[in-house]
Amino acid sequence: MTESLLLKPDRKFVESIVTSGGGDLKKCFQCATCSVVCELSTSRTPFPRKEMAWAQWGLKDKLFADPDIWRCYQCNDCSTKCPRGARPGDVLAAVREQAVKHYAVPHFLGVWVNQIKRLPLLILIPVILLAVALVARPTLEQAFAFGPPHGFYAEMVPHWLLIGLFTFFTGLAFLGAVVGVMRFWRAMAKADLLADQSDNMVGFVPSVMRTVQSIFSHAKFGKCGTEAPRRWAHILAFYGFLALFATTVWAVIDMYINPRFFGIDSMYPFGMMHPIKILANVGAVLLIVGCYRAIRDRIRRQAEDGGSTSFDWIFVWLLLAVGVTGAVTEILRLIAEPTGAAVPLYTAYSVYFVHLVLVFGLLVYLPYSKFAHIVYRTTALVYAERSGRTREVRLLEAGAATSMRVAESGGQTVNSD
Amino acid sequence: MDKKVAVYICQGCDIGSSLDVEALSTVATDECDAALCRDHECLCGEAGRELITQDIEGGANAVVVAGCSPRFMPDAFAFEGCQVERVNLREHVVWSHEPNDEDTQMLAADYLRMGIVRAQKAELPEPFEEEIDKTILVVGGGVTGMEAAVNAAGAGYDVVLVEKEAELGGWSAKFAKTFPHRSPYRDPQPIPVADRITEVEGHDRITVHTGTTIEGISGQPGQFDVSLRSNGTTTACRAGAIVQATGWKPYDASRLDHLGYGRCPNVITNVQMEELIALGEIKRPSDGKAARRIAFVQCAGSRDQEHLPYCSGVCCRVSIKQALLAREFDAESEAYVLYKDIRSPGQYEDFYRRAQEDTGIFFTKANVVGVEESGDHNLLVEAEDTLLGGKIQVEADLVVLATGMVPVAADGEGLRRYADAKAVVEKGEAGGQLDAAKQTVEDLAHLEGTAILNLDYRQGPDLPGFKYDFPDSHFICFPYETRRTGIYAAGCVRAPNDSQASREDGAGAALKAIQSVDLLSRGAAVHPRWGDTSYPEFFLQRCTQCKRCTEECPFGTLNEDVKGTPQPNPTRCRRCGICMGACPERIISFKDYSVEIVSSMIKSVEIPDEFEEKPRLLGLLCENDAYPALDTAGLKRIQHSAYIRFIPVRCLGSVNIVWVADALSRGFDGILLIGCKSGDDYQCHFIRGSELMGTRSDNIREKLKQLALEEERVRLEQLPITDWDKLPQIINEFAEEIEEIGMNPFKGF
Repeated sequence: MTESLLLKPDRKFVESIVTSGGGDLKKCFQCATCSVVCELSTSRTPFPRKEMAWAQWGLKDKLFADPDIWRCYQCNDCSTKCPRGARPGDVLAAVREQAVKHYAVPHFLGVWVNQIKRLPLLILIPVILLAVALVARPTLEQAFAFGPPHGFYAEMVPHWLLIGLFTFFTGLAFLGAVVGVMRFWRAMAKADLLADQSDNMVGFVPSVMRTVQSIFSHAKFGKCGTEAPRRWAHILAFYGFLALFATTVWAVIDMYINPRFFGIDSMYPFGMMHPIKILANVGAVLLIVGCYRAIRDRIRRQAEDGGSTSFDWIFVWLLLAVGVTGAVTEILRLIAEPTGAAVPLYTAYSVYFVHLVLVFGLLVYLPYSKFAHIVYRTTALVYAERSGRTREVRLLEAGAATSMRVAESGGQTVNSD
Repeated sequence: MDKKVAVYICQGCDIGSSLDVEALSTVATDECDAALCRDHECLCGEAGRELITQDIEGGANAVVVAGCSPRFMPDAFAFEGCQVERVNLREHVVWSHEPNDEDTQMLAADYLRMGIVRAQKAELPEPFEEEIDKTILVVGGGVTGMEAAVNAAGAGYDVVLVEKEAELGGWSAKFAKTFPHRSPYRDPQPIPVADRITEVEGHDRITVHTGTTIEGISGQPGQFDVSLRSNGTTTACRAGAIVQATGWKPYDASRLDHLGYGRCPNVITNVQMEELIALGEIKRPSDGKAARRIAFVQCAGSRDQEHLPYCSGVCCRVSIKQALLAREFDAESEAYVLYKDIRSPGQYEDFYRRAQEDTGIFFTKANVVGVEESGDHNLLVEAEDTLLGGKIQVEADLVVLATGMVPVAADGEGLRRYADAKAVVEKGEAGGQLDAAKQTVEDLAHLEGTAILNLDYRQGPDLPGFKYDFPDSHFICFPYETRRTGIYAAGCVRAPNDSQASREDGAGAALKAIQSVDLLSRGAAVHPRWGDTSYPEFFLQRCTQCKRCTEECPFGTLNEDVKGTPQPNPTRCRRCGICMGACPERIISFKDYSVEIVSSMIKSVEIPDEFEEKPRLLGLLCENDAYPALDTAGLKRIQHSAYIRFIPVRCLGSVNIVWVADALSRGFDGILLIGCKSGDDYQCHFIRGSELMGTRSDNIREKLKQLALEEERVRLEQLPITDWDKLPQIINEFAEEIEEIGMNPFKGF
């Protein structure tokens, strides 16, 4: 018998869910239609009914320690089937936003990053940092021998300066994310321990493998009924971002690791037909198309049910802006570099500067924005695999497949138990 | 009066083509001594009716119409001042049996014989006519009573309204607001009770007696002599019918110790919460501090076998209203509603939605198992079976128990048992009876002084309680009816209601009361034998004071004198004939329904001798459910055994055992008795007919033993009308069983 749970009804939290996209939360009367349609619901976890009940009472500790809120891809089957219009899918999105804020280190960034009114300040920070870096550049160049700049834009901001600056701040953000993830993991483990559900553990490595496989295949997205088109937007943006991230990493290796440690000459800047360049350009196109589709779908949905919040909008617009400014930067280089004229040059530099500011925002604010789903969702998926949560669903699917085969062969379905 | 019986056989509806009508005519005239017998291709038509009218003018005073079921064409075959018997040749003969068959013909002939005998024996009822007072006495001046009074008065009837409190209005006058009764069903609304009080008090036809109780009511419907007691003085009045609208009281919360009531000062009932709301702020009883965290425990003692097994239907909406009002008084306060199920029927769902919109009102399904104090008289509510996962605890400053409604009704039958037992104890006769009586007095002592109507009825001074002590007759066909003719229960004393439904009840019961006095003034019975002018007559010279009739009458019709001789009160009677079935001396009869009439019908059936191998079965069918069920089976052309002869009875309770004895000694091989469903969810139109038949069948078994006959020859069945399709099967199975047992050895004696 488990201990009684002392409820601490939290109106403030309920109101925060209501104002951040879960406005219909209170309409829920706990009929469990959502749990019937949701494939994440198992016999031991009626998802998302229990989350709706917790959210109605403002039991945030329960919600923040719940991996299931991150296993939801907001297919919104529950929202469309809900007989009372409580839109559990949207409520869960709002809960995830609150979870990101809750685990944010430092906490204030979690709050600031998603407030429209803080946007100027948030932009100002990288602008100032870059400006300071440019001012400090001559001094640093004298102190360290970094070698000649690699190409057109490096004349403005050399890569070593960018790498130093971005690595440092991204590293700080990364540390914050690591702390958040660890707290999240501990909270989930503690909740399971209290609920007496910490048996059934699966190995860590297989859990990670399954998670990675699931992320790369976007298989879960494929099961989203109501919002199936989102799968393609996400696939495009995901692989686009991945390609750009990989080519950026490769460029750093090419410029500073290969010549120094392996004696291979830097090939930077890559020609247009270089495989890395092709990959980068393809990545950029995928990212832009993916973001465009995501925004278009969101606007369409907005007209129907108004489900998107600034948390959603800031992130997706930022990602699109990074993609677009990156592409424009490249095009302007192709125009400006041969002429050497001043106007194209400074236009190109300006756009590049904007691009850098946006990239800074994307990477450094990652753990505090919607982008944080990369870390929290992945953590939750690994935890879900590890704690055996996915087992019942897998067994059910296998069972369904078996019984279907049995039915097709004309035999009787036999309960494997 | 000399009977001149005219018989008419209709040839329509397959009758002419399935039977030898000429042979039937011979049976009527030659064998049964009918004055004349005619046939016609469509008796219910203009020409057919004309035929009958001419004969009546020519002196026929009893008409036997052999054609369709008496349930059809009642108006076509109603002839002023002339007795009419219907013989059901259509549904019960030609539509349910092989046409032009020997057995079918014999069946038709027997039905005709029985019909003619009945026409010869029965008489046209003469209505019981006495001076009837049409004043309506309304007991209880809450919303229901006031509505009944206003409606009855508005329809032109004088009303006497009695209220024991000093003011009219009941609970509604004490509550600040109620839940909304009209669109958009969102916010609590004031109760318009003050206007109603003014209207009642100012009405010409309504006499209001507040601060008044009923000292006694004697007599019978149409002639109730009421004595009212107020401030030590007694006034008398006369009334024709009574509407009891005595309302409800909250369930005794002191029995809910586990929920902290009585133990913790800050645990209150929803009625106490209304008092706080009326003051305009929610203060804790323990220290007068503002209650900011208010937990509502729904179904406190309701839907609980240990307490009230039923749902009072209003507590959910009351708690929602109270939560909204508490939040309105103090925006910082929070309300936690812990429910088994939220029951907000119909449009009230919008009221529930309204409360859900409020982020300060929290709902969860829960089974509250306990309330404990946790220092400073704060409370800890513990609940299980929640959807929040496992057991939960909620801290609260104030706990409101949503207790249910208990009818303000007295247990009439219990009071009678109590009075009887007290009489035995006072007499002090020795023996085991005395001990039992002492025990009864002890067990029922809590009933002392609870009487409300103080009826001078042998069966007790108040309405008999029924399921969960509500005095409703508990049968869906008869709203507001009770087990006392002319007395109608309305509002929360009938069933838990909200004020809106109570008002509807008040209006409905007023109409029932009006209908009752109007029928009485014509000497006619109320539902279910609506308009029946026959009534039981007692040949008291032969009465043995066995008291069976006074005990068994479901409607308390009969009082007793000191010796135990029944004293009839015809207007209390519903003409079921249960007294007639009960009487071992057979001294009770109706003009058109008696032991003698039915016995003669039984004896008129021709019993083929043993060697013809044609068994004869007698079926006594309750005319309320079983008879129409057999009609329906006939309409659907479902066949049944041609060996059985049915006689409709007013109620299975009116079956006198002597009929069974007569039938068996006459040579019938088996007897099938079919009545309505008995038990908790009975469907008997006269409450206990088939139940009584069940007990009487013990005597029947005794009789069979005396005659050295098999017990299986008599079978008792209960049949809801909806099971009409099963009836032919029941008949056929019984016929087969009797064939297996073999012929009655008394044939031919």
